[in-house]
Amino acid sequence: MQVVETFGHYIEKWSADSPERARRLLKTGWQAQNLKFRFAPDKRLLPADQYLAHLMMDVMLSPLKDPEHSALVSVFTPCELLQEVGLYPYNVESFSCYLSASKTERTFLQTAEDAGLAETLCSYHKTFIGAALSGVLPKPRCIVYTSLACDANLLTFKELAKLYEVPCFAIDIPAGHNPENVAYVADQLRDLAVFLEKSTGKKIDAESLRERTKRSKRTLEGYDTFQKARADKYVPTDLVSPLYSGMTQNILLGTQKEEDYVNRLLSEVEKAGPSKGKRIYWMHIIPFWSDAVKKEFVFNEKAQIVGCELSQVANLEHHSEDPYEDMAMRLVYHALNGSIMNRIDAGIRHAKETKADGAVWFNHWGCKHTLGGSQLAKRKFEAEGIPMLILDGDGCDRSHGGEGQTSTRLGAFLEMLNE
Amino acid sequence: MPYGNDCDACFYTMLHGNEKRRCPQNEKCGEDVTLNKTYYVCKYTPIELLKAFGGECEILNTMPEGFDYADEIAHPNICGFGKSVLEAVLAGEVKELVLVNCCDTIRSVYDLLKEMELPDGSHLDFLYMVDMLHLGNACSRERVAAQLKELAKKYGEYKGREFDVKAFRNAFAPKERMTQPHLAVLGARMGDELFEMTKRCMPLPVVNESCVNNRSVAWTWPEDGTDEAIDFDALMDWYAGELLGQIPCMRMMDNTGRKQLYQDPSLKGIIYHTVKFCDFYSFEYAEIKSHTDVPILKIESDYTVQSSGQLLTRLEAFSESLELNPEIAEAIWEARSRAETDGSAAGGQMQMSDGSGSLGQSQTANGFTVLEQAQGNDDARNFAAGQSGNRDSAQAGMAGQAWGGARLQNGSAGRYGRRRNQMGKGYFAGIDSGSTSTDVVILNQEKEIVASIILPTGAGAAIGAERALEQALQKAELKREDINAVVTTGYGRTAIQDGDKSITEITCHARGAHFLDPRVRTVVDIGGQDSKVIRLDEDGSVKNFVMNDKCAAGTGRFLEMMARTMEMSLDEIGKAGLSYDEDITISSMCTVFAESEVVSLIAQNKKPDDIVHGLNKAVAAKTASLVKRVGGAEAYMMTGGVAQNQGLVKTLEERLGTKLIISDKAQLCGAIGAALYAVDMG
Repeated sequence: MQVVETFGHYIEKWSADSPERARRLLKTGWQAQNLKFRFAPDKRLLPADQYLAHLMMDVMLSPLKDPEHSALVSVFTPCELLQEVGLYPYNVESFSCYLSASKTERTFLQTAEDAGLAETLCSYHKTFIGAALSGVLPKPRCIVYTSLACDANLLTFKELAKLYEVPCFAIDIPAGHNPENVAYVADQLRDLAVFLEKSTGKKIDAESLRERTKRSKRTLEGYDTFQKARADKYVPTDLVSPLYSGMTQNILLGTQKEEDYVNRLLSEVEKAGPSKGKRIYWMHIIPFWSDAVKKEFVFNEKAQIVGCELSQVANLEHHSEDPYEDMAMRLVYHALNGSIMNRIDAGIRHAKETKADGAVWFNHWGCKHTLGGSQLAKRKFEAEGIPMLILDGDGCDRSHGGEGQTSTRLGAFLEMLNE
Repeated sequence: MPYGNDCDACFYTMLHGNEKRRCPQNEKCGEDVTLNKTYYVCKYTPIELLKAFGGECEILNTMPEGFDYADEIAHPNICGFGKSVLEAVLAGEVKELVLVNCCDTIRSVYDLLKEMELPDGSHLDFLYMVDMLHLGNACSRERVAAQLKELAKKYGEYKGREFDVKAFRNAFAPKERMTQPHLAVLGARMGDELFEMTKRCMPLPVVNESCVNNRSVAWTWPEDGTDEAIDFDALMDWYAGELLGQIPCMRMMDNTGRKQLYQDPSLKGIIYHTVKFCDFYSFEYAEIKSHTDVPILKIESDYTVQSSGQLLTRLEAFSESLELNPEIAEAIWEARSRAETDGSAAGGQMQMSDGSGSLGQSQTANGFTVLEQAQGNDDARNFAAGQSGNRDSAQAGMAGQAWGGARLQNGSAGRYGRRRNQMGKGYFAGIDSGSTSTDVVILNQEKEIVASIILPTGAGAAIGAERALEQALQKAELKREDINAVVTTGYGRTAIQDGDKSITEITCHARGAHFLDPRVRTVVDIGGQDSKVIRLDEDGSVKNFVMNDKCAAGTGRFLEMMARTMEMSLDEIGKAGLSYDEDITISSMCTVFAESEVVSLIAQNKKPDDIVHGLNKAVAAKTASLVKRVGGAEAYMMTGGVAQNQGLVKTLEERLGTKLIISDKAQLCGAIGAALYAVDMG
């Protein structure tokens, strides 16, 4: 733990005067961590999840090593087109998460606030902007983002495009779940293909793209099958593995590596032991840094997280043979698009599929749609027989956590489930 | 209860207080009716379309007293405006509401109103949300046109009316633009009550260009043919383009067109307003502040009436700084001269109408007009104050600001008009009424301090000030009538009746700091209730300033509470952090969370010195952030009670990388500034 703190301290220290030095240190530290994931993984996890930690770290390192071949993206940007032109996803939310894990978020949050940004802005966005303003994070080839799923996207990426002076492509997702909106988004994705071809000088092969979106579909369906299969199983887990899959199920969708990960899960879940303890379905992000949450859920046979909403945002009922329409459907019929009821209904369905005993709705500070719908969600989940805890906190910014309160609330909720 | 689909008169209403009117054509309705307006919140609302179906549209913009209902069904940490919409609906003040998916909070408001019953078990009579796209291209226009047609169908069915093309055409209102020197409110929407207060504080006309108020749907009829010949689908396509083509909102993916709002040669200053938990506009503020030459004040409200009251000091200080700005003072003088010539016509020039009016918004009385009525005329002042209900109330105090601004230099009238300059013996008093202490300084004509005193404020600002002035006079062996002029400042300044003029502590601190040490360019003042950083120019005038928000983090109160948790006195905590072994970081800045962190550190047997140093670092970080925002420059002076805390001073010096000047008269800084302004009054 002390190593992480010292590491974070030097990154913070150098970010002010020598950002490139701070970036080198960041890269070196993360490479060292990746070696650990590769050669000394946490054996308590399923092998698939050990592989996932390493896979995710590769994702993080690629933009640091080769920013010229990276596109800055929001988490729900469909990345198949990027993969076709050889660009790595350089994801804002994931980077902020990792910066927070490296205990460096405070200085970057402060940098962003000093520039005038609101204290109430989502910490994932603010941390990244602060790190970019500090010069610690490198300039990407281009930026691609969607209006899904929050207001912060509409602000952050324009700001970063100005800062980095790179081309930027925005995908506008209307709220209504209907075929006309699918067509509207598909047209934008066709324009995105042109934008990417122009940005990289590479041509997108229609057949290869079709194969890729088919792989995406198989991967999503495979993950869905895994979630259903784990309903009667005990899958040991920590707090970060569900988050990793929430990230890779979006930004790595379409890659062979992500499909491999899901195939491993499917094979390993068969061998897992019978279900133990209380099973919690988690809505929204997980405050992986919180000791109070770790205490209750990390490799704990008495209670564990059995699913995270962010890994299951696609509506698998909608599919098209046309790759652009297929990706557009994923966005338009997305659980987080439009009414909060879409999200609540999907959460209830997925929680039931994994035989969850209860659910946590995590009110990440700054995520207004999550906060605004929390009371409604509690009412709807409980009407379906799934007790719900509304937990206030922050997935990234430790200063918004009240560890004492988190501990009391979670503890009492689990006691209630055990009664 | 009928809702007026049978007769036109039923579409009128006064929704404030659910006022009921008898329907004038009651042979059809036959009973008292509650008449409905269709409320809206966003400039992208197709109000012309609603009016074409007989709708009477009004902006929903009032600020509630609190958010009891909204916090219960939503969450405290969503935008205050969204919560004010929920409050209005749940209080039964709104029956028809057309929303736009402006932001995550409004999306939540719609979700909740759609799913939940009102307290009486009913639902809104009409609720709709337009899915306005974020791009302005041809494809978006097509999708928006489809939405408009769907809204037309549903609203027409609800109203029982057909689309009236003439009513549609007549609903478009030209947007008037202010061409004379003025100030503008930009940024997130500002509640009516706060806008009225802002107008009253400012020495120039103020135009509301925030959010929904800069609606600019064009008036260019799409075709040459007659109304009857117009194809509805084509018309909606045109209309969708016009709606999307307005000065963009920050939610639009391309919002470069917003520059016209602040690149206006007649714009002399900007009051940039943000709403707590609405993040859109902080981005624009960050952009504007580094790209504009005009003075800019940033204020943030949580959309309650109470939060607006707390902004008064900032607004007044900004007004004072405008009057001291030579370039703007001339515009102010010209504007006043023009208004004297025109009578009260100035008010009409600044009406910015979208043809729909606004709930509770006065379009005729503005600060500028009132200012002219009051200048040198006590009766007019009394009248104006009387209009606000109670002259002694805080509201009357706000009304009083209207004629206060320009008296900083010429001293011709008191801000509150309490007393004219008296015949004294050449002594001048400044009273700084803070939340913790009340300080008085008496100067002679040579601006030498003849007496000063610091007393606890106690239960009431007025009594505390009276007592402090009395003791200062005793100390100086003077009588009240020996004093030519008294200027009050500080948090309780408006409550003190014994002053000739009231000036904000921002302006007074700047003047006082300059008097104490003319090298000072930045004042860091951490008081019991708030902390502020003031940038001065070489004359001691305010160049820029920033204050903490409502939160106690970074103030003296924060340290006081932490001292209590650690069972230490303020003196002890002031010295404890000077040396430390372990470099502890307190990550929570929220006072409540920080307290629980401190408790946990105590439980871990951490040394008090180390914990106090951690607390000092937290306060220093918060203060350094304010310094950065204001563009702090050497030399720095620290004032306020917290300047006595040696540990914090040391940590702050390390953080800023410079020495802080701490005068032995630091605590008197505000009172000295006030007394100097009293000397100016002659």
